Amino acid sequence: MIRRVVPVAAGVFCLLLAAGFFLVLRGAVETGSGRDGPLLRDLFTTSSVDETGSVNVVTAILMDYRAFDTLGEATVIFTAVAVAAAILGKPRPTESQRTMGLLSRRLLSSVLPLFLLFPLFVIAHGHISPGGGFQGGVSLAVLVILIHVAFGDPFGQNVVPLRLLVMVEYGAALGLVAVGMLGIVQGASFLANLAAGFPSGTPGSLLSGGVIPVLNLLVGLKVAAGLSSLYIYLSGHEASRGDR
Amino acid sequence: MQNAAFVAAALVFAIGLHGMLTRRNMIRICISISVMESSLVMALVAVAYVPGGSAPIVSDGQTMFVDPLPHALALTAIVIGAGILAIALALTVAMYRHYGTTDVLAVFGKTREGQ
Repeated sequence: MIRRVVPVAAGVFCLLLAAGFFLVLRGAVETGSGRDGPLLRDLFTTSSVDETGSVNVVTAILMDYRAFDTLGEATVIFTAVAVAAAILGKPRPTESQRTMGLLSRRLLSSVLPLFLLFPLFVIAHGHISPGGGFQGGVSLAVLVILIHVAFGDPFGQNVVPLRLLVMVEYGAALGLVAVGMLGIVQGASFLANLAAGFPSGTPGSLLSGGVIPVLNLLVGLKVAAGLSSLYIYLSGHEASRGDR
Repeated sequence: MQNAAFVAAALVFAIGLHGMLTRRNMIRICISISVMESSLVMALVAVAYVPGGSAPIVSDGQTMFVDPLPHALALTAIVIGAGILAIALALTVAMYRHYGTTDVLAVFGKTREGQ
């Protein structure tokens, strides 16, 4: 009896919560609409090109207005990797060969260079087209994970050692803080961009936006190293130990 | 338009929450958490909607843009969601290594036996 009642009760509870969720969203939108005076979104879209040199307003917010928050996000990924490593311990790649078939491996070995090209494009063009450090970094991590899945863990560990990933993660974190400190050295605030006198370039060109491309590159490297080492930690255990 | 997106986000949230409350397998609970997070991203994108607005990339001849701030916050939500999912999966792996199962109720039973 109780086995039947519980899912139904849970369903009703969830639907009621969903109605509340909808009402909160609706109320939030209605509170904001119908007011006169400048809106925050207009402020961002009209002044961000002059203030940051970045055409992509989302990147301008992430890497300039809220750059300190982005440093915090990078720290979140770092913390997730640290916690996963603390829980799971050193990864031990299994000797049993769990690789894809010959056809997939042959195909992947010729397609993988393209997989490297796309993330680099997304990271480098983060301030002028959709994309940025996080998105490109995740695609880079997919490249490393694909090597592990297709060619087996021992091969993946040989090509991209865990030590290298950890070093890249540390280096990118230190680089982010160093770029932030550069703003202080120039006489502005931590992670300041154009206010610290970095050249803005022509908005819309590849080299524009002051330190934004540098931050994008560092964040991309950090996210890529963090997510791929997360995969290595999660997958690097003999699945057969508790198995029967 | 916006209301439809809100309803969809609320329904996806309800589906994720229902899964989290009623499933017994830890992997499925992790998937449900992930579904709930996607509903929040859907809600953020819907909040950012401006009628007639284009993607917030400034170019010549465009004056209407959707709100860029929720998009930046959606990225934050995705990153934190990925972190939560990673730690939840790591705990699931640890649980499987210790108890040999991913069933939450079975683990409860085994801990009760141990007392």
